[in-house]
Amino acid sequence: MTVGPSRGRRYVMLFLLLCGFSVILFRLVTLQVLQAAELTAKADRQHQKTVSFEGARGMVSDRHGKVLAMNVEVPSVFGVPTSLESPSTVARHLSPVLHIRSDELVRKLQQDKSFVWLARKVEPEQGRLLEQLSLDGIGVVMEGRRFYPKGPLLAHVLGFSGMDGQGLEGLERRYDSHLHGEKRVTVLQRDALGRTVFPKGLAEQVPTPGHALTLTVDEVIQYIAEKELEEAVTHTRAKSGTIIVVEPQSGAILALAVSPRFDPNVVAALTPDRWRNRALTDTYEPGSTMKMVVAAAALEEKVMAPDSMVFGENGHMVIANTTIHDHDKLGWMTFSEVIQKSSNIGAAKTGMALGEQRLYRYLQAFGFGERTDIDLPGEVSGLLKAPKDWGRRSLASISMGQEVGVTPLQMVSAVATLANGGVMMKPYVVSEVRDQKGRLLKEVLPQVKRRIVSQDTARAMTTMLEGVVTNGTGTKAAIPGFRVAGKTGTAQKIDSRTGAYSSTQFVGSFVGYVPAESPRLAMIVVLDEPQGEAWGGAVAAPVFRRVGEQVLNYLGVSREDTVKIALAMKDH
Amino acid sequence: MKTLTIVAGVLLVFVFVWERVDVVRLGYQIERLKTQKALLERERDQLQVKFSALMAPERIAKVATEKLGLVPPQQGQVLMVHQPGDIPGLSLPPVEQVRLASHISTGRVSE
Repeated sequence: MTVGPSRGRRYVMLFLLLCGFSVILFRLVTLQVLQAAELTAKADRQHQKTVSFEGARGMVSDRHGKVLAMNVEVPSVFGVPTSLESPSTVARHLSPVLHIRSDELVRKLQQDKSFVWLARKVEPEQGRLLEQLSLDGIGVVMEGRRFYPKGPLLAHVLGFSGMDGQGLEGLERRYDSHLHGEKRVTVLQRDALGRTVFPKGLAEQVPTPGHALTLTVDEVIQYIAEKELEEAVTHTRAKSGTIIVVEPQSGAILALAVSPRFDPNVVAALTPDRWRNRALTDTYEPGSTMKMVVAAAALEEKVMAPDSMVFGENGHMVIANTTIHDHDKLGWMTFSEVIQKSSNIGAAKTGMALGEQRLYRYLQAFGFGERTDIDLPGEVSGLLKAPKDWGRRSLASISMGQEVGVTPLQMVSAVATLANGGVMMKPYVVSEVRDQKGRLLKEVLPQVKRRIVSQDTARAMTTMLEGVVTNGTGTKAAIPGFRVAGKTGTAQKIDSRTGAYSSTQFVGSFVGYVPAESPRLAMIVVLDEPQGEAWGGAVAAPVFRRVGEQVLNYLGVSREDTVKIALAMKDH
Repeated sequence: MKTLTIVAGVLLVFVFVWERVDVVRLGYQIERLKTQKALLERERDQLQVKFSALMAPERIAKVATEKLGLVPPQQGQVLMVHQPGDIPGLSLPPVEQVRLASHISTGRVSE
């Protein structure tokens, strides 16, 4: 048996095998140990897809479930500049579809990036056209876009959200923590063709949508308020205007209209001045509407009674070296007539009879100088100085509604208090928060803030305020068939150039409630700088009547003479 | 016995492979249905937005006045009437109640 040559061959074979295995072992160590992390990541990138899911933003609807804001998925267009051969050709194709200038698109597509947004949240039709074009290096993904299907309706309350779905203004901002959908990042497995393979925990990948809000607002009442306000602002050539309609028994806001309006679907070109909710961010000197509050305090403190006699000083009275005027040379009158005729001198005397501390206490109690805590952002507290900072004329001035800054919301809350028998309710806009399955998460119930005056005082005030509408300065607010209680207000604005009261710039307003005997609505109408005749009784009271009449019809509130007319019809 | 074991083993392998293949097939099916569901939901949302926009009071008022020539009821032309029994001593037939508002109207509303 020969061993030599075969043994030699065996060694050679063994050597070769060892070399081979060494190479394999070396490669294995390189792949599995030295480059393990890098290669694993590379493999993951190839067969895994990381997807960020965001739940849809919650819906907002009015008290009857009518949709006011909701999310819809729309296309967003992106480009991958590194994979483009000719950005200018691609831009030429894209430009007419996206309505973006070609050179702007070229600039974006020439960047040294692997991903650029070209247009976000475009119309569905544009997305379809792009899919038909099927351009290399251009992709479309779906993103949630906020829609406000009613356009400008209630825009100042709803606010709007940003491109990335974050609440920026109004309820969108205040309730952002409820409205925004859940964000979740998930890794999906892909096969060789790039299709998603049965992902683990399928159900868990769908992120939870945001919560839905139900408002106290009624979209029909809101529409009536906005329509009438727009007409009034146009007709009087006022700078701006506000109407707030409140349910006195609960504090629920039924409508909050601000003019000029804006469309929350198109806010990019607008300035904050346009979307500011003036009903709670802007203060004004209320003028004579404040006399209502002073009168309520005087009745409650028994400083005055409705039939107390007050001398009107024939239209002139000197206080702290300044003269207070009335529009007429008023002589002796009852306290009711002081309010009916809106006598400045009568109000000043009432304030003086109350004294600084008591007047201040009631102004505070009626909510002036503090936020109402409505569930909307941006509310200011207004301006109410403490008595230590009052001047010699302040007591008289404040009694006439000067030297004090209020928001329309504060003033309507004050009048709603009288309508509600002297009990102040907290105003609110959101009544319910529900999750995506419709389960109730939060229910907002009417909240009593405090009792300010007794029921008797509130009743007496109602009678006095009815007098304003039947025989006083607010006759244009009268609604046939209904008893209306209210107060007019005309305030001179401070001229920013001179620092003195302007003789041409006014704020005309009317606050009131109807039906006076059993109020369904409390309302304020404020017109800022109406041109021509600026008296609250001339410009704001008619708006109150028009809105009030339509809203009462809509709510199906019977006229007080219904029975009489119906019985007459029967006899006939 | 040995043959039986081998056949059973092969069968088990086949069942396992079939099960794996079926899981993948169902996975693709679920994905397809998910996409379909998402598309339908998107369409539903778009229709809901469209519906809400069409139901906007402002639009309805515009159509009513400009296309149909309707006018808002003038002051005093609307009268709420109680159901029979709500008012003691009043029992009007339903037609009378409906026509009541137009009987007393003084404006331009025609019957």
